[in-house]
Amino acid sequence: MHELSMAEAIVETVLDVAEKNDAQEIVEVTIEVGELTMLNPEQVKFLLGVLAEDTLLEGAEIIIEEVPVEIKCRNCEFTGLANTDGSDHYLAIVLCPKCNERNVEILKGRECNVKTIKIEKSDENA
Amino acid sequence: MHKIAEVEVQHDIMVANRKLARKNQKMLDNNQVYSVDVVGAIGSGKTTLIEALIDAMDCNIGVIAGDVISKYDAGRFEKHEVPVVGLNTGKECHLDAHLVEHAFHDLPLGDIDLLFIENVGNLICPVDFELGSHMRMVVISVTEGDDTVEKHPLIFKDADLVVINKVDLADAVGADSDKMVNDVKQLNPDVQVIKTSLKTDKGFDEVMKAIEISISEN
Ligand SMILES: Nc1nc2c(ncn2[C@@H]2O[C@H](COP(=O)(O)OP(=O)(O)OP(=O)(O)O)[C@@H](O)[C@H]2O)c(=O)[nH]1
Ligand SMILES: [Zn+2]
Ligand SMILES: [Zn+2]
Ligand SMILES: [Zn+2]
Ligand SMILES: [Zn+2]
Repeated sequence: MHELSMAEAIVETVLDVAEKNDAQEIVEVTIEVGELTMLNPEQVKFLLGVLAEDTLLEGAEIIIEEVPVEIKCRNCEFTGLANTDGSDHYLAIVLCPKCNERNVEILKGRECNVKTIKIEKSDENA
Repeated sequence: MHKIAEVEVQHDIMVANRKLARKNQKMLDNNQVYSVDVVGAIGSGKTTLIEALIDAMDCNIGVIAGDVISKYDAGRFEKHEVPVVGLNTGKECHLDAHLVEHAFHDLPLGDIDLLFIENVGNLICPVDFELGSHMRMVVISVTEGDDTVEKHPLIFKDADLVVINKVDLADAVGADSDKMVNDVKQLNPDVQVIKTSLKTDKGFDEVMKAIEISISEN
């Protein structure tokens, strides 16, 4: 469980960017979380809410976009979405959906990316 | 008057750690230190294995010992008269590249050829955090149950060497160690998997050889 340290790192990043852009308030934050990260999006969201208290981030809407697993097969060169039907992540990283070989490389699905923030700022310094 | 502006951030927390990890590896390379990140289940035998390697290997070894709160493992390594830094993670369940960078400051890197980094016992969290080591060795034991690999696939997917320990207890706990080996091969077809008993020394020489080979290939 490292949702707390990740949430802390997210808050730090968001506040830093907001301050550099003279934000008066942060309205919305969009975060991409890969399906293969060992993070529970709901927990991250909850902790962000707790950590946001008394900061520019308080009250902001947190949008978490899940990033599906993308793989590259070392056997047939297939590159694309892994088969995560039935939400079994084990399968996704084991088998190439095209040739059924096992030697696949994970390209996407392991991120925790602060993508964009929406901020409110006064017109003068816009 | 106020206006809403959208700001592109694109800061990946995972990538930030990976960058730090690469910096760590450069630091190790500059000092000609080869490093092995030892991850695995709680109580699987990580400390016991590193202790045996310290005694058996013919090079200058240093250790970073991660523990949630105690300095227990660091104390065990100190008895082998090698440089040791204990890292207390406090609330965290894994080491990260930043913590490891701090530990470098307290180690005589110039005098070390091989650095073992014992991660916090955990098959889940360390997956997300590279440390900058040259090799990742995963240590599990049959007593966790022979479905351990299936339940924690990702840590095996990235492993460079897998040790399945305590095979002396396999019958007693009704675990099929061959199944564990096969499960690892499903996830990571090229990885070397070694069955060991550190009680009887079974497989130990093989582990040592595997590490020596990857040092020489580095
Ligand atoms: N029977 C048996 N016991 C073993 C073997 N290897 C280690 N042990 C015992 O298992 C216990 C745990 O070993 P450690 O080396 O402390 O395990 P660890 O992975 O470092 O544990 P943590 O740091 O707490 O996660 C100790 O009592 C060891 O003596 C083995 O091959 N067979
Ligand atoms: Zn964790
Ligand atoms: Zn394929
Ligand atoms: Zn230990
Ligand atoms: Zn620091």
